Amino acid sequence: MQIIKDFVNGLWNENPIFRMVIGICSALAVTTAANNGIAMGLALTFVLTCSSILVSLLRNVIPSKVRIPCYIIVVATFTTVVDLFMKAYFPALYEVLGIFIPLIVVNCIVLARAEAFASKVGVARATADALGMGLGYTWAITLISMIRELLGAGTLFGYQVMGDGFTPWISAILPPGAFIVMGILVGLINMINRKTVKDTDCH
Amino acid sequence: MNQYARMIIVLMIISIASGAVLALSYEITNPTIQEQARQKLEQSVLTVIPGATKMEEIQKEDMIVYIGLDDEGNKKGISFEATGSGFNGPIEIMVGYNPIEGNLLAIEILSMSETPGLGAKIKEEAFTSQFKGKSSEEEFAVKEDVQAISGATISSTAVANAIKTSLDKIVKIYPVGGDL
Repeated sequence: MQIIKDFVNGLWNENPIFRMVIGICSALAVTTAANNGIAMGLALTFVLTCSSILVSLLRNVIPSKVRIPCYIIVVATFTTVVDLFMKAYFPALYEVLGIFIPLIVVNCIVLARAEAFASKVGVARATADALGMGLGYTWAITLISMIRELLGAGTLFGYQVMGDGFTPWISAILPPGAFIVMGILVGLINMINRKTVKDTDCH
Repeated sequence: MNQYARMIIVLMIISIASGAVLALSYEITNPTIQEQARQKLEQSVLTVIPGATKMEEIQKEDMIVYIGLDDEGNKKGISFEATGSGFNGPIEIMVGYNPIEGNLLAIEILSMSETPGLGAKIKEEAFTSQFKGKSSEEEFAVKEDVQAISGATISSTAVANAIKTSLDKIVKIYPVGGDL
């Protein structure tokens, strides 16, 4: 099924963070605690899905010469809606993510999927792709933030998991930790992929 | 249809639709956002003035002062915001003060962006509780009157200086021993 293929694509093969390495600005900045990772991922998934659906619906209406401004307006609108609703109903979360939510507008995943995919296919495929990409981004940054939170604070989703003898490695939740953790993960995932390619290779 | 006219019309329609969606979301969420901000402020005022259950906001010269009242309407103390510049950005502090005795009731860090694990410890009880009962005549000199957090002298000094600066202004408005 094409739709399932489109959905799974973003989860692994073309994972935005680990495979395409786009949208990593937010992925590096917010991943200091696992809760932030999940919330940021879901917020991006929402914006990405809404804008992909709309871009796909309007693909025959929008003249190609003004398509970029049109996409940006659509993305900015959904982002501001998320921003306002999060501020009103999840103030604790907003305090942490507040400065990153408006940045979804310039997150290249959203514009890249609108331009490269949603503007060329029907609504069903665009939705599947957006959900796959969004959830691919979500699991990727949640994994990064879990590792960083565990090493840097000894907690996981805010619960203490390391014993009293554990000395937090503070660098992990500072900017350098983001680069180190992400670099190692990208390397590991490349290793796994290379291995599976070799296994299925029949000279 | 002329392609230029089409470009303009499409862009215009998308912009108008976007404006309408934004206006609607703003209308829906704004009362809740305002209420959240007010509740958060009230919560912090009541935390730094023990015994207070209500608050009243007044403007005195260039300071906004929050008066804490108990259930019978007795004034329990006043509080005000102090801002200092920390290691990574501004630090906002809510300070509770008893002008009759001239000492601090409690402080709470409202917002800060200090280094996690080091400067961020200014938020912890171990640091904030030492300001309780401090007299407005003290110097708030770090490492003498105020115990600094190890490895975070800048953050600790910023808090102490911010409180002292605002406190000096408040003492001019509410002289020690005077009435509320």
